[in-house]
Amino acid sequence: MSAIATETTKAAESTRTVHFRIKRCDGPGKPSRWEVFDVPVPAHANVISCLQWIAANPTTADGKATTPVVWESSCLEEVCGACTMVINGKVRQSCSCLMDEYAPNDGDTITLEPMSKFPVIRDLWVDRSRMFDALKRVRAWVPIDGTYSLGPGPMEGPKESETRYKLSECMTCGCCLEACPQYHLETDEAAWATSFIGAAPISQARLFNEHETGAVLKADRLEALMGPGGINDCGNAQNCVQVCPKEIPLTESIATIGRAATFEAFRRFFQSR
Amino acid sequence: MAEQQGFMERHHFLLRRLHSLSGIVPIGVFLIVHLTTNASVIWGAANGRAAPYAADAAGRGVATFQHEVNFINNLPLLLLIEIFGLWLPIAFHVILGIVYAMTGSKNTQTYAYTGNKRYLLQRLSGYVGVLFIFYHVASLRWGWTFLVPNGTEWSHYFAASTLAAALKGEAGMWTTPGVIVAIFYFIGVSLLVYHFANGLWTAAITWGITVSEAAQKRWGYVCTAVGVVLMGTAWTALGGFLFAVDYDQARAVEEQIFIEHHGEEGLQKFMDNPVDEQAAATIHEAEPGDG
Amino acid sequence: MADKRVIVVGGGLAGLAATIRIAEAGVPVDLFSMTPVKRSHSVCAQGGINACNEVARQQGYSEYQHFDETLYGGDFLADQNPVLEMANWAPRIIDLLDRMGVPFNRTNEGRRDLRLFGGSLFKRTHFAGATTGQQLLYALDEQTRRFETEGKVNKFEWWEFLWPVIEGEGSDKRCVGIVAQDMRTMQVRAFRADAVVMATGGVGIVFGQSTNSVICTGGAASRCMQAGAWYGNAEMIQVHPTAIPGADKCRLMSESARGEGGRVWVPRKPGDTRDPMTIPVEERWYFLEERYPKYGNLVPRDIATREIFDVCVNEHMGIGGGNMVYLDLTHMDPDYLTRKLGGILDIYEKFAGADPRFTPMKIFPAVHYSMGGMWTTYEAGDYMPDAPMPEHVPGTPPPVDAEVGRGMVRGAPNNMMTNIEGLYAFGEVNFAYHGATRLGANALLSCIFDGLFCGEGVVNFVNNTGRSAADVAPSVYEAVVKQEEAKAERLIASAGPGGGDDPAYNAYIIGKEMGEVMTATSTVVKTEAGLESCLNTLAALRERYGKVRLSDTATWTNQTLSYARAVGDMLILAEAIARAGLLRKESRGSHYRTDYKDRDDTNFWKTSISRFNPDTGSVDVSFEPVRAGLVAPRPRTYGKDTHKETEKKETVAAG
Repeated sequence: MSAIATETTKAAESTRTVHFRIKRCDGPGKPSRWEVFDVPVPAHANVISCLQWIAANPTTADGKATTPVVWESSCLEEVCGACTMVINGKVRQSCSCLMDEYAPNDGDTITLEPMSKFPVIRDLWVDRSRMFDALKRVRAWVPIDGTYSLGPGPMEGPKESETRYKLSECMTCGCCLEACPQYHLETDEAAWATSFIGAAPISQARLFNEHETGAVLKADRLEALMGPGGINDCGNAQNCVQVCPKEIPLTESIATIGRAATFEAFRRFFQSR
Repeated sequence: MAEQQGFMERHHFLLRRLHSLSGIVPIGVFLIVHLTTNASVIWGAANGRAAPYAADAAGRGVATFQHEVNFINNLPLLLLIEIFGLWLPIAFHVILGIVYAMTGSKNTQTYAYTGNKRYLLQRLSGYVGVLFIFYHVASLRWGWTFLVPNGTEWSHYFAASTLAAALKGEAGMWTTPGVIVAIFYFIGVSLLVYHFANGLWTAAITWGITVSEAAQKRWGYVCTAVGVVLMGTAWTALGGFLFAVDYDQARAVEEQIFIEHHGEEGLQKFMDNPVDEQAAATIHEAEPGDG
Repeated sequence: MADKRVIVVGGGLAGLAATIRIAEAGVPVDLFSMTPVKRSHSVCAQGGINACNEVARQQGYSEYQHFDETLYGGDFLADQNPVLEMANWAPRIIDLLDRMGVPFNRTNEGRRDLRLFGGSLFKRTHFAGATTGQQLLYALDEQTRRFETEGKVNKFEWWEFLWPVIEGEGSDKRCVGIVAQDMRTMQVRAFRADAVVMATGGVGIVFGQSTNSVICTGGAASRCMQAGAWYGNAEMIQVHPTAIPGADKCRLMSESARGEGGRVWVPRKPGDTRDPMTIPVEERWYFLEERYPKYGNLVPRDIATREIFDVCVNEHMGIGGGNMVYLDLTHMDPDYLTRKLGGILDIYEKFAGADPRFTPMKIFPAVHYSMGGMWTTYEAGDYMPDAPMPEHVPGTPPPVDAEVGRGMVRGAPNNMMTNIEGLYAFGEVNFAYHGATRLGANALLSCIFDGLFCGEGVVNFVNNTGRSAADVAPSVYEAVVKQEEAKAERLIASAGPGGGDDPAYNAYIIGKEMGEVMTATSTVVKTEAGLESCLNTLAALRERYGKVRLSDTATWTNQTLSYARAVGDMLILAEAIARAGLLRKESRGSHYRTDYKDRDDTNFWKTSISRFNPDTGSVDVSFEPVRAGLVAPRPRTYGKDTHKETEKKETVAAG
């Protein structure tokens, strides 16, 4: 609550100054530039609250008036994935990036950059439409018979449910793609279909393959993932699983889809007409 | 749509999986055989059947190695085996490997995870490995002696001695270019062994053999063990040729074996015209009870 | 018929459920959202979703009991028929979500697991780990994506709703589309539709920091109100007692922390800044345990909220003089805590940077949910007892079965339609269902119920209305586009060199001050004086807002413009919240007036309706009787006898 914020600011013994080096860009095709802001940081601040301070006080460290920094955010609880950015070189959500951890001392510097694998809209705001497009490619849904009342879904053991829950926590934030050496910025939408799709959608394909009804589309999902840009483009660097904020077993998903693809290939060779 | 796609796109899955497979069978299998054979220059010391050729360990090693080499060179349809079992798979693996490696990028500085470093090293070892294999084959198999310090030509009749000379640069002693070649061998062989062991690990993920993180870890230990043993074999072989083989003694052992197969006359004939493949072939054919 | 379309504004649970239902019926949907729909605020819901289930049923529970609980929980302020229909549909909704693949927690036998939740003696809450809202939203997002690939849904993500397009006058008014702005290109455009569903969620940002997402400004609802839609029960704002205050927002700390033995305290010495672990027990003030010896830390949610607020705001006894108290679990076995509360303790550690197993948590109440919202109507179903029923006794046969149509007529075109024809309000932005306070795990239900059940009414409305938006003159749309373009241009033009330098005219500062005054006067404890001063402050802020100056003139992705515009709308909504609170001279549910501490059914068993007055530019509030007749209101005591209740009141008064 606002009252709290004010009170705690007052209550905190003192604030420290942290230099925010922010990579800014006015729009697609515009050149990037760095701006530094000196932000008074109270205890228990995070990157978001500092960006909010900059929005209200858009003046650079050398006193030049500038515009508020543009970034995408929503829940601020690390469940929506919106505020993902590159902080001190590494990708993560900015809401859970605590200043007491990242810049504990007066005079520390923090560097904010937009994710590099997605086109920049403005400043730190990037367009991750390609990720949502990928979910269409792998048919990441259960093909139900419609929304009329037709009774419960299939029964499922607690283990299977837990496995799917873990996979289903993916918030399409793109950390796994930003850190992946096989995933690249692709501004040409026509090339999305053949550029490496990355860990998140592969893991989603597994999620729905493992649902009794969802498995109906398994062959379609594998078809999409066995072609160019699919499962085989993975280089097994396994950065994805390291940077995933939800600790989703992405490499297990990749291997699972790899196995399914192996069987599918044999099935097609020996079985399909 | 499919018609308009290129060959690579149409056969994407098959090519990828064949690339993975070819690294293990036949290339990986060959690597194991090749390194084991070469290491016989050391483990041959324990070979009782080599005892008649030399009193000391080094000599028995040379003799064993020579027998191994002779065995291989006497395989039927050797050239066909080489072309279809080795050169084409290697060319396939190399060309696709380079194409695939080009799709990657390097970010180990930011994301300094072990897996990421392995990923990078897999690609680097591939590139260096290709250069090494080219040098290795060109200098020793194709007889591009201008690439060899002091121009020593390797001969499968005198396998250990000529190899040691080709590596060190001089029949009996080290030369500076020889040191460079030896270091290159050390690096090249080590990287290829790494490439194989790590490839074995990733192939298990690619094919979906190891699925869980725990399984990948367990299989990782197995691959590490394979890599360590193979690395030991490789270093044993290389160390054997560089440090254990005495040129003159080796030459003597090898001549003894040559005579055993081809007679004094054959040796004389061969020494007169060592590069004449036909002459060598004649000798070979003339040899009774070869094997 | 072929050219009929529906616009859904908002891509949370309510918006997506509506989208799916309408698209499934063959009516194309244009879906607008300020954020990619998968990032909507619904992801934040943790607890679960209530529904009668077979186990509970055999223990004596029923859909009717769920209905009764919800009315009782909401202190009988909700119109009653829709609540009945919602409770009756709940099991069907769970089944549907199950079919969509929601990974509900499972029993060993593979059935959906259940947990106990506030306001009920039966296990009736279905859940998926600690992120039920996220899981439900994803399931609906996936189905929406499926319709999108089939061309039945057209998504406009990163488009901000600016204004409804309304044609006609008086009772003939109807909504024929919207004007929206692309948040990237800043293009302002009109979109035609035969019906518009507002599913734009809550109003948390009006209070500055809340548990809500940054997009929950209530701006869209305010714009509809300014365009003539009524706003119901604006004053009903739920405050959650235990949240983790943050510099940017407040994050929920589940009440199970208190349930597992957490103790609430503050240092006895005001302004004490010592490390809490070094403060001896005798220097700690366990104020809940002291003031409520019987219930201790487990007092009901609203009491806990008021006491914490009182200790900090009125007595200035909060930690270090600030608005925070300790919620202490450190006296308990860390392994036990990990087993029982692992997930939520991790959340605290992640955002507060301290391990609650070894350091007391710092918590404070935070604005959580708006029961109030756009006023809506409905077609009552066929159940109406001869006389309102008394409290339902579990295990006795319910007075009515759970067949479709008992509470609301299925497919009725006016279900959850606002006072403007063709304009609907679904989900949190709809004032129905929760009355004066909301039961835990009922929010997700009401959102999805609105979309699925009332979505059918939307389809019937557009298919049966004789009029088509396609016939509306382009000038109707152009006028609204011009109005919104002018608004944006005026804001952009305000920015000059050094724009935003003066804090008095800085939109962010105005927004912050609005949040502060709203939180201080219009949340936990309300008084006539407080609310009047709040209204004065809001008037002053609106005065300043009239001269607001932007710090960004960009014509590309200008977030400052978007926020500044929303601040203007929030100020009007804030006025509705404060004014309705001022005029409701009683205490009911979350609305607690220290000057009118009792519920007053004679004068205020009524819905407050806020209407924007374009002539005065302010909000007029009137009261309309609640549509009841199904259940007779009874005191909301949760089993406490009046003796205890009096005792407590005396304690409060004495404290």
